[in-house]
Amino acid sequence: MTTRRTFLKVLSGGLGLAAVGLPSRQSLADVAKASETEFFVFIIAAGGWDVTLWADPRNEAKGIVHPASTTNTDTSQLRRWVDAPLVDGEKSFQLVRPAGSNLVFGPGIGDLADMPDRLTVINGLAMNTVAHPDGQLFSTTGRHPQGGRVAASSIDTMLSNELGRDQLLPTVSVRFPSAYVGADLDRRVVPLAIDDVGSIARTVTRAQQYDANPERDLVTAMLSEEARDLAKRSTYPDVLDGLALQYEGVRHMLDSHLQDVFTTGGLQKAHPELNYTRRFTRGAAVNAAFAVESIKRNLVRCVSFAVGGFDTHGNNYRTQAQLQQETFELVALLVKSLDRTPHPLVQGHKLSEHTHILVVSDFCRTPQVNLALGRDHYPNNSALVVSPRFRSNFVFGKTDLEQLLPAPVKKFADGERAIAPPDLLATFVSAFGVDPRKYMRDGEVVKELLRL
Amino acid sequence: MVPPSAPLPLVANGVAAEDTARKENLRMVPPEVYMRTYLQLFGGLLPVDAQKRAKAGDGGSVFDSWDDYVSALGFPDYRFDIPRQTQTNALMVAAFERLGIALCDRALEHDLKGKAPLPVQDRLIFAFDLPKGTVDAKAFGPRFDVLHRTFLGYPAALAPPQRTARFFQLYRDLVSEHAKTSPKSRFTPDEAGWAGVCYGLVRHPEFHLY
Amino acid sequence: MLRLPRALPRLSLLSILVALVPAVFALDAASAPPTVSRTLDDYRHFRTVAIDLTGRAPTREEIAATERADWNLDHWIDGHVTGPGYVERLTRIYMDLLRLEPNLTFSDPPAQLFRASIAGPDGKPMYVFYRGGQRRPREATDADFCLSPDETGLVIRPGAEAVGTPKKVPQKLLDQYTMLVKPWWLYKDYKSWTPSQLYGAGWPNPDPEYRPVEGLLSEPDGKPTTAVRVCKEEAQGMDVGHVYASGRKPPGAPAPAVKPGPGKPALPVNGKPGAPAPPVSGKPLAPAKVVAPGSTSQHALPNGAPAMPAPMGSMAAAAAPALAGTPSKFPGGRLKAAPVDSKYAMEHAGEAVECATRMGLDYAVDCGCGVGLERCEPSTGFNFDSPAFYYPNHMPLGPGMPLDEARQPASRWFPYWWSREAVRLLGDLFQEDRDFREILTGHRTFVNGPLSQFYRIVQRGNCCGPEANFGMKTEMEPLFDPKNVPPDLEPTDVGTWKMVADRGPHSAGLLTTPMFLQKYASARARGAVLYNVFMCKSFISDKAELLPSDEPNLTIRPGCATCHATLEPLAAYFARVEPASFVFLPEAEFPARNPTCKKDRNGHLNGPCNALYDVAFADDHGAMLRSAYSSPAHADETPAGAGRDITQTPEFAQCAVQQVTSSFLGRPISPDDDTLVRGLTSDFVKSGYRMRTLVKGIVRSDSYRKANNMSSTTWRGAP
Repeated sequence: MTTRRTFLKVLSGGLGLAAVGLPSRQSLADVAKASETEFFVFIIAAGGWDVTLWADPRNEAKGIVHPASTTNTDTSQLRRWVDAPLVDGEKSFQLVRPAGSNLVFGPGIGDLADMPDRLTVINGLAMNTVAHPDGQLFSTTGRHPQGGRVAASSIDTMLSNELGRDQLLPTVSVRFPSAYVGADLDRRVVPLAIDDVGSIARTVTRAQQYDANPERDLVTAMLSEEARDLAKRSTYPDVLDGLALQYEGVRHMLDSHLQDVFTTGGLQKAHPELNYTRRFTRGAAVNAAFAVESIKRNLVRCVSFAVGGFDTHGNNYRTQAQLQQETFELVALLVKSLDRTPHPLVQGHKLSEHTHILVVSDFCRTPQVNLALGRDHYPNNSALVVSPRFRSNFVFGKTDLEQLLPAPVKKFADGERAIAPPDLLATFVSAFGVDPRKYMRDGEVVKELLRL
Repeated sequence: MVPPSAPLPLVANGVAAEDTARKENLRMVPPEVYMRTYLQLFGGLLPVDAQKRAKAGDGGSVFDSWDDYVSALGFPDYRFDIPRQTQTNALMVAAFERLGIALCDRALEHDLKGKAPLPVQDRLIFAFDLPKGTVDAKAFGPRFDVLHRTFLGYPAALAPPQRTARFFQLYRDLVSEHAKTSPKSRFTPDEAGWAGVCYGLVRHPEFHLY
Repeated sequence: MLRLPRALPRLSLLSILVALVPAVFALDAASAPPTVSRTLDDYRHFRTVAIDLTGRAPTREEIAATERADWNLDHWIDGHVTGPGYVERLTRIYMDLLRLEPNLTFSDPPAQLFRASIAGPDGKPMYVFYRGGQRRPREATDADFCLSPDETGLVIRPGAEAVGTPKKVPQKLLDQYTMLVKPWWLYKDYKSWTPSQLYGAGWPNPDPEYRPVEGLLSEPDGKPTTAVRVCKEEAQGMDVGHVYASGRKPPGAPAPAVKPGPGKPALPVNGKPGAPAPPVSGKPLAPAKVVAPGSTSQHALPNGAPAMPAPMGSMAAAAAPALAGTPSKFPGGRLKAAPVDSKYAMEHAGEAVECATRMGLDYAVDCGCGVGLERCEPSTGFNFDSPAFYYPNHMPLGPGMPLDEARQPASRWFPYWWSREAVRLLGDLFQEDRDFREILTGHRTFVNGPLSQFYRIVQRGNCCGPEANFGMKTEMEPLFDPKNVPPDLEPTDVGTWKMVADRGPHSAGLLTTPMFLQKYASARARGAVLYNVFMCKSFISDKAELLPSDEPNLTIRPGCATCHATLEPLAAYFARVEPASFVFLPEAEFPARNPTCKKDRNGHLNGPCNALYDVAFADDHGAMLRSAYSSPAHADETPAGAGRDITQTPEFAQCAVQQVTSSFLGRPISPDDDTLVRGLTSDFVKSGYRMRTLVKGIVRSDSYRKANNMSSTTWRGAP
């Protein structure tokens, strides 16, 4: 991770954007223009996942690593689990090696093993924390919280602010740690944070027995004027200006008849290709359906949601692999659904060519198994990207063999070190023409992750 | 060379007011405060009772349930470590509209459309009688002041100068529009006008910010 | 309904003008001209103060009152630092920081009843309640459902749907192995010999907040439930049972050192005799344990062999092939072999065990759910998520103001009440303006019916497993002494709250409440939250690289020490409270450094030692209690010591002032606020750490008055 000290040192040395791995401003502007047709899905595996079951597989007892085995894992539902000998008669898993790929996975990868050519895996992310709120915020904003407060905007807010201001729903966030922090952000992109997508429909439903939409629009228009007038009278006008924009946003929302589509039943009907019967991800499947439908209608820029249940300290570790399998199956189905859906603006293109998925988690789990046959928190992590702008069939980053700790992977501006979440987020936003320094204090663009 | 000397006092050329107030941005009224205020306006009811009154079971589809709006209103969910929202967003503003319309419509029915006229002191929001005939600015002003105090907490006379006029224009536009667009409405045009004024205040920036 | 003031104010010029307007306006006095001309600033300031102290915007009457000449803001403030709005305002600050609501289940095996559906003598479905892991004298049913698969046609297990084809169970078998009970959730007078006060029919003055789900109130045929059928062992009401040795030995085990004693006959429950326990020796099967998500505790058997948790859901798939035409090789058609006797059972057969404890479930065939099944909580199905009671999902405005009411699973019943207890504790602190340090040091709390059931009875089931090897078969120094629970609260007295002045000598405010201990399940998590919330400090690592290292001491390990040098000693305060649990380990039985727990030749600790002591800090002289290594002294001081030590630091008062001031100002505290914060802190401490003094100081401050952009002096004029 680039500390503030080293970052300033670098800049003062006059190395400029290039030295910290940032593209030139002109090239960013060009890319940004081309990114106005892009969409984003952000998923957090809330609770901290066991990377040794999928991205950074371990099936041998080396050092402090105690692999998943038939003793601590319920393998009955795992499609990719094939027994492999361990020690003392225990059985671990055979590594999953997708055909035609050098990628190696654990059985938690599920159906994503069938599409290695779409995947970018990042291992050995240095987390420097094992606290949930901290890990989640670090993974999604690139900054640790300061005194309990969120220190920076999350990646969905960053991208919406750049590319999504004119969307009806720039960021929809379903239990994702979205954050809106900073003075220079457009108030339209404050994340719409909801519990479930069905609440969108219920919130925008309007009775017709007393008044009609044109009348309500008159009120809204008047309120916009009021807000703008108050803003002109205020020393700090942005909250009031923002409210004016949000009033206008409501009018557009109501005109779009969102309530007709964005109900749980409606989404399930519209997207039967997703699986709504899985034990752990049935709720997340509805969120994925919402993502596809809202992107298809060009209503959103970012959809962010969480899949919960990964915090398996105890006996519940037995189902961690199954939870991963279901989560990655959901991602695979989402990708396939995007493969089939036409782009709303770019004729002849499919959504998958213009939709970019990032899957993160708070941190990973200990390589050791604890007394409760579970795993605790550990300051390492992995992440997954599915994006045409990222180099696919590719893994970047590594951990040491015996302790699963992040290992130095390249020379950054502040020396040889492991990759960290700010680097991944900076790389991600820069791929769409966004200057990471506009939003992020830390992080370098890792060119190796990007498609040339 | 000029030898050093003590500085002479500056001569005052005038007096200017200096605003030493700390410049802070507006903050959103917390969802708990919004809800408590809302319930107070609804007659000091408990949440489940307000929900029942708002739904009224009359097919009006005016209200769903509090559970449907809780996350849109920005409440935290400590069970899932979801923090409270401290900024408005478009969906929240949509929720404010939904809830505000429910309050104003039901309050108007309660206050002004009962079988027997309700004493003014027992009215929830519309604590005035509607004038007979066309409402002009003179008749509108004091009635608007009642609503302005109710929702925004101060007399309309102290508001920015265009406020009363703007709301009066809204009232007139709504009366005119209502007759055209909602012939089957449960409200008369005049009632729709006052309900609209109520919507405008319960959704006003000064109601949601402080 | 809103009431308007009747008295007319003194007339001003404006009021004369308004008086000419037709008097059809409700306000009368309220909309009548103000007797004092207030500025926009005054109105806005009052609105802000009202929002913060009453929890809502001011009403028209309240605004009108401020327009009277005799109205005084200071007096108004003094009168409003009380009441539900004020209490909720302060509670909100600490709930935002601590988030004391559960996203977890609590399903302690001794307390959890499941409900199976079998075919009765007439072939129609009927319900039978049972506990997972209940010991039974019959090999065919020991630690399983009380009727064997051969008898019911079904394999019935907790956490999984029954598998098989139901066959009629004759009445004779039903009478032999089950009985009817009038349980606490249906009968107010369940303790009497002949309960008659049935919920919905004869129960006097039922608590309106107590609502069992419909499924608990009716039979499969829709008829109202008047008694529940329970496996006979579960129906037993004795307080004390006996270690049972079945005589089934593990392969290669020596003959028992002590001859197994006879099991004593069960006392009658509700007037009906229980079944006697035959003296058959054997080894108990390691019972299934459901651990709350986030839990790190594992109840091992006293002989050290860790319990093998039964995988939920997977057994259905595993069972199906066994039942699909393949005869079981085990008695009664059971799925797996009956449990064999553990070393402990063989050595202690016949010894007394307390039925409310975990040992009662694991070891005794003569321990059940107690009178009226009061040690157990019901479910309407086979899994932990089956609904049992109605209670709210959301109650953000405080007690008594739920937003909804929903069917909730039994496994969340107690966690829900723990959260309500935490909110009440905070509410009491603020309403009574108690010394704020009691948030970490206080002994008092509030309990209602479910909490009294929990503290008196249910929490005892958390203990004891490996603890028994150290001489603790039942909790010896519980964090909440059951003797201090009000005796007159029934489990269904949901809406009746009583104050408990003293939970016990180990009390430490919120730190020793189940909600806190479950939400922050590990010692480190508990220590970290103290640091963040009550000292306003963060753990910020200054070096990214974590090099592989064998150093177990995180306070000196490179890369870790920056944070852990502080965190480990904080965590040590909680070393005596088991992770994800509230079982307290007394010093006498569990010394911080235990000389009896030594590393063996292979460098391991034996089972019970390994469960509670840390092999990373062990040698051939002894081992350290888990989490205690960095500060055995802190471990012995317990959470009460943490509360005392933290509240004595200057940071505690400063942090409390910062948290509250920041919340009232609506922004983080900055160096510009130093003078304000210093003054407020001094007053806060001098007042004896009273929140009212602090809040009054804040709302009277200039910073508060100018804390938003709405001051009229900041208008830049008309656009």
